[in-house]
Amino acid sequence: MLQPLNDGSGVMIKKVLIANRGEIVGRIIRTCKRRGVASVVVYSEADRDAGYLEEADEAVLIGPANPLKSYLNIEKLVEVALQTGADAVHPGYGFLSERGAFAEAVVHAGLVWIGPAPELLRIISSKCTCRQMADQVGVPVVPGTLKPVAGVGDVVEFGRAHGFPLFLKLDKGGGGKGIARITRARDIEKIYRQACSIGSAAFGSDACYIEHVVPRPRHIEVQFVADRFGHCVCLGERECSIQRRNQKIIEEAPSLIVTPADREKLFDWTRRLVLRMGYHGAGTIEGLRSEEGDYYFMEINARLQVEHPVTEFLTGIDLVACQLDIAEGKPLAFSQQDVSLRGHAIEARVYAEDPDTYIPSPGTIHALYLPEDNTQLRIDHALRANAVVPPYYDPLLAKVITWADGRDAAVDKLIEALEAIRIEGVKTTIPTCLKTLRNTLFRTGDFDTSFLDNGVTPGVH
Amino acid sequence: MEKSVNAIMPGLTARVVVNVGDRVEKGQEVAVINCMKTEIPVNSEEAGVVKQVLVKEWDELQVGDPMVILEI
Repeated sequence: MLQPLNDGSGVMIKKVLIANRGEIVGRIIRTCKRRGVASVVVYSEADRDAGYLEEADEAVLIGPANPLKSYLNIEKLVEVALQTGADAVHPGYGFLSERGAFAEAVVHAGLVWIGPAPELLRIISSKCTCRQMADQVGVPVVPGTLKPVAGVGDVVEFGRAHGFPLFLKLDKGGGGKGIARITRARDIEKIYRQACSIGSAAFGSDACYIEHVVPRPRHIEVQFVADRFGHCVCLGERECSIQRRNQKIIEEAPSLIVTPADREKLFDWTRRLVLRMGYHGAGTIEGLRSEEGDYYFMEINARLQVEHPVTEFLTGIDLVACQLDIAEGKPLAFSQQDVSLRGHAIEARVYAEDPDTYIPSPGTIHALYLPEDNTQLRIDHALRANAVVPPYYDPLLAKVITWADGRDAAVDKLIEALEAIRIEGVKTTIPTCLKTLRNTLFRTGDFDTSFLDNGVTPGVH
Repeated sequence: MEKSVNAIMPGLTARVVVNVGDRVEKGQEVAVINCMKTEIPVNSEEAGVVKQVLVKEWDELQVGDPMVILEI
């Protein structure tokens, strides 16, 4: 059995348990196969149809559809890893991927955790702690409180001093949950109570902090990889301003709005923050750009990101391979100077949802056609004809990513790919993506995170 | 007479927002379903008093599964 890697002494991972479901499982298996690493996948009773069960070397049923008893069951996942002789655990994204307790259980079992150190995951699960760290190294955070508020009185006081609107956010929130907009003083008490109760129920903490509303914000994030030897390399930014319900639907790189000087500044901030944290692994610094062109740190995502293929197309670097190398205690195989950001990459997320109302659409896929991957098109998915799309998990069905020399050509290729896809039996967000991609304001780069909330009418605004 | 309030979408029980003995009006929200991580409210089609709560958080639901029993 392997010892936890704290000294970077180096081990070789030979068998990885993938503690996740859906398209990301197939993605991780692909890199494992390329490296000659065996893979173990786990599945719940609702995922018996998943295509990746056959691609993995082993597949183990871990429990019922209820994620608490399957994909969120720490004890069971560690037990299966030990039983199958896996020597490392890849948590994917979502589920337990940023849960310090899971990382700790994996390390205590003598297995390698493919991600940042468990102690660090615990520390950075507090958004206020991250805001304080950013502030300490001179990285601007979205203006607001650096510490959680002590009670409703603090929020009233803040509103009186700085005005409205403002955001009340949960210190331990995530996934777009627990973000409340306050537009007037008399709503504070009710909204504060609601936020506290959501926080206690969903995240085990009712701590809240305040952020000013950034006008017409654009979501800009920086992908980085950092090893155990103090090297942090930035792999470009991604713009993810096209969102519905605070969740991304279209992501691209490079961003039209980020200048080379902005990029250098964002990379510098990223390196400062990552080194301050003592972070190792792949990660993302999420930020906002205001209408005036100011950038602010928002949060750090301590895992592989859904939209990582955009960066892989842009850089030619396999991020899952980087994660495995870093987990094995190796130094990064490249420096910042070796990284070139080539052409333009763009991703559309296909969700099982009504394209107009975003109401979920679980069901059975009766007919399926997806174009073949090529050097400029990649579709990451876990779909199959006649398979059930269960109602219990995230609605993400597929990610369609294209690459070309320039943005227009990449967008056109994405339109072509989305038009060719046939998914029958469930509703999908393909029409939403197509409307956006054909929209004049989107094509000229004139948008912000409220783009989809404002209604997409091609060419007219 | 008894009448059940049933799941209108498949998914997981997010929460039940009424307790046994509560008076419920027609159209009032009694429970919330988590369908693919989206919260869908379930409203009562009748006025009545909550007699029994049949589900708890994280329970799996199919369309039509009874969630709450009302005495109407």
